[in-house]
Amino acid sequence: MSTGSVDGGPVDGVPVDSSAEVREVLADPGWKRLHPVTPVLRAWKVVAVVLVVLAQQGLDQLLQADLPGWVLLLGVVGGLVAVALVTAVYSAIAWRRTRYRIDADAVHVEQGVLWRQQRRAQLDRLQAVDLVRPLLGRLFGLAELRLEVAGGAGSKISLAYLKEEEAQQVRNALLAAAAGVRFAEGEEAPEAPQRAVLEVTIPRLLLSTLLSGLTIAVLLVLVGCVVTIVITGSAAPLAGMAPGVLGLVAGFWARFNHAFGFTVAESPDGLRLQHGLLEQRSQTVPPGRVQALRISQPLLWRGPDWWRVHVNVAGYGGENGTEGANCTVVLPVGTREELARLLAVVLPDLGTGDESPLDVVSRGLTGTGTDGGFTSAPRTARRLDPIAWRRHGFRVTDRAFLARSGRVLRRLDVVPHERTQSLALHQGPLQRRLGLASVALHSTPGPVSPRVDHLAAATASALLAEQSVRARAARAAAGPERWMDRGQVVGAETPGPLPA
Amino acid sequence: MSADAGEPFDPQGVAWRRVSPRLTTARRTVLAVFHGVVVVVALVLAALLTWWIALVAVAAVLVLAWRWWLVGRQVPAWGYAERDDDLLVRHGLLFRSLVVVPYGRLQFVDVEAGPVDRRFGLASVQLHTASTATDAVVPGLPPEEAARLRDRLAARGEARLAGL
Repeated sequence: MSTGSVDGGPVDGVPVDSSAEVREVLADPGWKRLHPVTPVLRAWKVVAVVLVVLAQQGLDQLLQADLPGWVLLLGVVGGLVAVALVTAVYSAIAWRRTRYRIDADAVHVEQGVLWRQQRRAQLDRLQAVDLVRPLLGRLFGLAELRLEVAGGAGSKISLAYLKEEEAQQVRNALLAAAAGVRFAEGEEAPEAPQRAVLEVTIPRLLLSTLLSGLTIAVLLVLVGCVVTIVITGSAAPLAGMAPGVLGLVAGFWARFNHAFGFTVAESPDGLRLQHGLLEQRSQTVPPGRVQALRISQPLLWRGPDWWRVHVNVAGYGGENGTEGANCTVVLPVGTREELARLLAVVLPDLGTGDESPLDVVSRGLTGTGTDGGFTSAPRTARRLDPIAWRRHGFRVTDRAFLARSGRVLRRLDVVPHERTQSLALHQGPLQRRLGLASVALHSTPGPVSPRVDHLAAATASALLAEQSVRARAARAAAGPERWMDRGQVVGAETPGPLPA
Repeated sequence: MSADAGEPFDPQGVAWRRVSPRLTTARRTVLAVFHGVVVVVALVLAALLTWWIALVAVAAVLVLAWRWWLVGRQVPAWGYAERDDDLLVRHGLLFRSLVVVPYGRLQFVDVEAGPVDRRFGLASVQLHTASTATDAVVPGLPPEEAARLRDRLAARGEARLAGL
């Protein structure tokens, strides 16, 4: 299986592999291989997918076919075995051709069977490191290591699978190297000490899941069912509802499965998150990698005063679908007091001066009008947003921008000044007539897109001008990408006073 | 027209540069070709099948007239300004936008020219930051101006480069 026989030439200047090179693939002591069980796991994954598809779609057709039972069974089992064999062989070849190496500056990965790929990721661009342990991997004591770099979709580096201890060692070494801590030859980076910050208990997780918008959807569906049964007098429509109900149950399950055993811890390497029931995930987000943060509250969480927190981290934004959405939750449900503890880890300095950060955030969460030093939308905004107009507002602290919105679903977005990418001012025809304008702060891709709607046009314009100055000043004063180097940068901790 | 342009979109001390008026012609050409094809197809179908398909052609002509007029207003509304630390781009008449892109945040700059653009001697410059929400495109620049802007942005971006 050499590349040369397939396309007959070098790919992107990469020399064509000869079998001699494959044999010497690990000649350099720095290079390492993934765990040899990897092909088995990968083959199983493919078989599982085939099984699911078969169960969902193919079963009916198979049963309709006019064949004796044993032929069917033999066909299905034989087919599955064939699929398993083919993927196992392919994965084994892929495994042989995959190797990785970590030095002081970068991670190198070489992989691919037909299309060879060599990837080098700069460690000071590392945005997050995730250790994922899928259900089957846990049986073998294996884990996958995912390195997020901010390169857009498909930029993550996945080392699947490694022995759990090895994965942890690699993670520690990576984070230490990324932090700028150097170790002598042969010395191993120790696990950074971590301090537990909070834990989401199972009863609360269950209750919070029940108190979500999904429950309202379920209730609506149930009411719909009852009504149709009463009107039509038959239970036939129930069958039609089945897929919807299944979907809702799946939604509940996904949430529960993801947030099960959610713990947040603090370490010198940054924020540590651990969660997951079947697939366990342990995320590390180094300091300064959180680009923006959103605190939100579904309607039914108002009674117990619970909140949810999402963040934008550059690497996670590139991942699509539920995967990306799950990674960005840093608190699935928590009280205000827990929120304060979390904020102290994620954004240690909100720059609120004499006021306590929790006070400022609290006012942003529930306040209206000019509560807590917020600048809010003028009265004319009620014509565009009669319900939530009092909630549209912003506040600027020395270090961050806070955008408040939502009356039914309350929301507060926090963006550190140095993480603002660009700014925009928008005005539609109605806003123009009322002398209003909206300001948007652009952050890296993710669930948080901070925006303040319906400000007085003059306020919005002034905000745009001031915020770009503040962002520039904060950027100039920002710490280094290698967070442990921080001590060497003297006099760069706090930005100077800003022109108001 | 410029009197009620609205203060927020005209910050003080900013010298706006306009895009080339040739962009109006280019966009109108594209519109005319597109609508022309619709009209011809509709008329042919009307002749072959039933007469009322011709109404589609009438509608296409009306829409063309409206968009023709709109392009004439939209193109002069595009503007950009290079300041010391950031680039401003503004566009839109009904829905106005003003985007501020700091040079230090630029990840890369695209210069693009489609077949129609090239025919009219135009190119567009698009600015990319680490945020996909950054919507900063300057269309309708003469190629030499586009190249100048690109090089200037690249130089300034390098001088002020910051991490994410």
